[in-house]
Amino acid sequence: MPDRIEGVKKLFTSRSARVETNKGESYYNDLFERCQTRLRELRVSQPANDRLDFSEVLSNNGVDRRDFMKWVSATTAMLMLPPMFSPLVAEAAELMNRAPVIWLELQDCAGNSEALLRSDGPKIDEIVLDIISLEFHETLQAAAGFQAEKQLEDAIKTFKGKYLLFVEGSVPMGMNGQYGTIGAGAETFYDHLMRVSKDAAAVVAVGACATFGGIPAAAPNPTQAVGVMDVVKGKPLINIPACPANPANMVGVVIHYILTGQLPELDSLLRPKFAFGYRIHDNCERRAHFDAGEYVEEWGDEGAKNNFCLYKMGCKGPMTFNNCSIIRYNEAVNWPIGVGRGCIGCSEPDFWDKYAYERPMANAKIKAPAGGVEKSVDEFGLGLLTAAGIGIGIHAIASAIGGKKEDGGAE
Amino acid sequence: MIKLIEKIEGEAKLNFSFQEGRIDDVQVDFMSSRGIEEILKGKSPLDALVINPRVCGICGHAHLIATVQALESCYEDIKISKKAKIIRELTLNFEIIQNHFKWFYLTIFPLFGLKQEIMKALHPSQLMGKAIALFGGQYPHTSYAIVGGVACEITNMDIIKLQRYIDETIGFFEKNVANADIQTLQKLENTADIMTKQGDLPDILRTIEKNGWQKLGKSYDRFIAFGENSCFAKGKLLNARIYRNVFVEDVRESDSTTSFAKSVHYLDRYYEVGPLARAMIKKNPLIKDAHGRYEDSMFTRILARVYEIAGLLTHSRSLIEELDLSEPSYIKPDIDISQLNSSGSSAVEAARGTLIHKVEIENSVIKNYEIITPTQWNLCGGDNKNRGVSQKAMIGLNNTDIAELVFKTFDVCSVCTTH
Ligand code: SF4
Ligand code: SF4
Repeated sequence: MPDRIEGVKKLFTSRSARVETNKGESYYNDLFERCQTRLRELRVSQPANDRLDFSEVLSNNGVDRRDFMKWVSATTAMLMLPPMFSPLVAEAAELMNRAPVIWLELQDCAGNSEALLRSDGPKIDEIVLDIISLEFHETLQAAAGFQAEKQLEDAIKTFKGKYLLFVEGSVPMGMNGQYGTIGAGAETFYDHLMRVSKDAAAVVAVGACATFGGIPAAAPNPTQAVGVMDVVKGKPLINIPACPANPANMVGVVIHYILTGQLPELDSLLRPKFAFGYRIHDNCERRAHFDAGEYVEEWGDEGAKNNFCLYKMGCKGPMTFNNCSIIRYNEAVNWPIGVGRGCIGCSEPDFWDKYAYERPMANAKIKAPAGGVEKSVDEFGLGLLTAAGIGIGIHAIASAIGGKKEDGGAE
Repeated sequence: MIKLIEKIEGEAKLNFSFQEGRIDDVQVDFMSSRGIEEILKGKSPLDALVINPRVCGICGHAHLIATVQALESCYEDIKISKKAKIIRELTLNFEIIQNHFKWFYLTIFPLFGLKQEIMKALHPSQLMGKAIALFGGQYPHTSYAIVGGVACEITNMDIIKLQRYIDETIGFFEKNVANADIQTLQKLENTADIMTKQGDLPDILRTIEKNGWQKLGKSYDRFIAFGENSCFAKGKLLNARIYRNVFVEDVRESDSTTSFAKSVHYLDRYYEVGPLARAMIKKNPLIKDAHGRYEDSMFTRILARVYEIAGLLTHSRSLIEELDLSEPSYIKPDIDISQLNSSGSSAVEAARGTLIHKVEIENSVIKNYEIITPTQWNLCGGDNKNRGVSQKAMIGLNNTDIAELVFKTFDVCSVCTTH
């Protein structure tokens, strides 16, 4: 054990900046111009809904300009853009009703929608819920049943090729998809997803379930659940894993899309680097204790009372990429390591089988990629995936099934 | 003539059949399943603490507490500090409170032709989410409860924040939901007294009255609750009598052929669970009075759920007073759970009613795990002889809009129902 800790220490004491936060002046100048053009075009386009005027909403909810600008600079920084982009981010927020969003729930626990409902403070909720055009959200919307289905069809038609499709929950492939059906015609989740993703501009998988299969895919994966990327092909796709996904990252993706018309830079697991370029361990408030060799050895001990490092209690921070150590949860009140229970690695594939609870890393059958001190996120992610034989197996089966379905389709 | 109407509510499918203008039967089917119980088999018992909260993003904390208590019940003797118990209870209260606010403003409002009140739903539920995050690190999906106590070491600073979140929520309730001091509200004994108040709850109740719907949505008038703690009592109400002795062992599940939801019965009878059941078993004066007038109708059910918020808020405030921070958060069990060959069960009151977990541990792994959720009690379809609780409440109504309203007074959650 001591050896291992030493080894891990060496590996992770390296410089934390694994994402390129400075790409040089000409890159940003270029991007700035492109964003400006894009925003100009958006401004003259029809809003996806005329629900609310942005500044009106803010003032109605007692949000002053200063609060808003604070949020803008935080968001700009989160998207890893230099401060000169702040005015553009503010403008993008104001133009959010130009980006139609459709939200589907498949095999899920509704936890990501719940998290969205708790996003960053009332002001931003307002932005998320009223301004972003949530054209169709199966939980949030008041309409139900046939009316809802009609709305969905209308939204697909009206915003053909333009909408962002957010998907929450995994896709059950077992029993011909019968583990999950939706609507009067008992359309399978798989067919439903295929139909709605066909005309999407891009698909955003939100949460561990939609990205990598999540809890439903835990061994023995009774319903043969897979992630969205295993079945949706030929579409720009972005993964925002974690369980639940952090709402700040969902909003970040939308803002980025409005701003640039493109998806943000992704890592090998299709996660936006702005959010998943950070290793929990590198920005952890308990890191100094890790370096000093001060660990919680048992729940409730003196170490626990003094916020020592949770590595020996099974913290998976060293293997996990996410920005929750920076932005935290529930309006930044706290995060799992903050309450002393350690990270469970919920933004990594297969966390449900490999990481789970109090299995200290040394016993968790996972190996940190050996050798390099300066492994990039990309390689690190791939290393993990390769280590996960089961994960690959499932993905392979899934793609095979997905492929077959497509081949056997009507056209 | 039999007319068939199908309605989809989330992932629930309702098939109504009409005869002579009235609903004479309704089939309730839940359309998806993840097989969580299968997944738990063969896993380390402690993995259940990570997996089970994820059964439901809406009442995940109740699943966490049910899991930790089920695991703890496998011990012959295990000590949990009072501090840890209070912390678990507080978070449970907060989860229930935030759920009720959201149900009222997002689900019930539009059914009365009102606009969804997003901000009114979000503001108090965010406060409660923050309160949970103080102990649990995040909400939804916390895993801070551990066998032997809780992982968090809270400080006086946390307590101050907590008090602020609670007081702000109470302020919101007094201003918006029922316009009166929360202490006064607590003492009400007569339905007429709430009807004369200002606020969103009395408004809705008055609408029900105006439409003459007070007695719609009656079911078996049988109630049950198992989750005992400092706020809730255990017992069943059958034929107008309360029985305190109820046993988890007598709760049975049976499969359905058309739906993923298994039905649940207690000694061969269906019972309603949830806020109304809890209030009746605890003999809450106001709810008893409303029940005396309108029985187990939509009126009483809506009142009971929203009114429960007030009780939980004041109860939480007094619970905090009892917290002794010098107590340990965790007491190490004398044997490690992996050494146990044992079985156990737990019952917890979640937002929608009694949640039961049963576990068998053998050779260091989970041999069997059974989860019985509140929505199964209330929403499952019945058998040939008897209809389920919500089915019974809808039969006899003359249109599907009212039936939908009645159905939703039970607070539908399909992810829980099938898990
Ligand atoms: S990823 Fe987590 S929060 Fe999201 S649906 Fe799955 S279990 Fe729920
Ligand atoms: S608590 Fe976890 S993430 Fe933080 S320093 Fe220790 S091992 Fe790293």
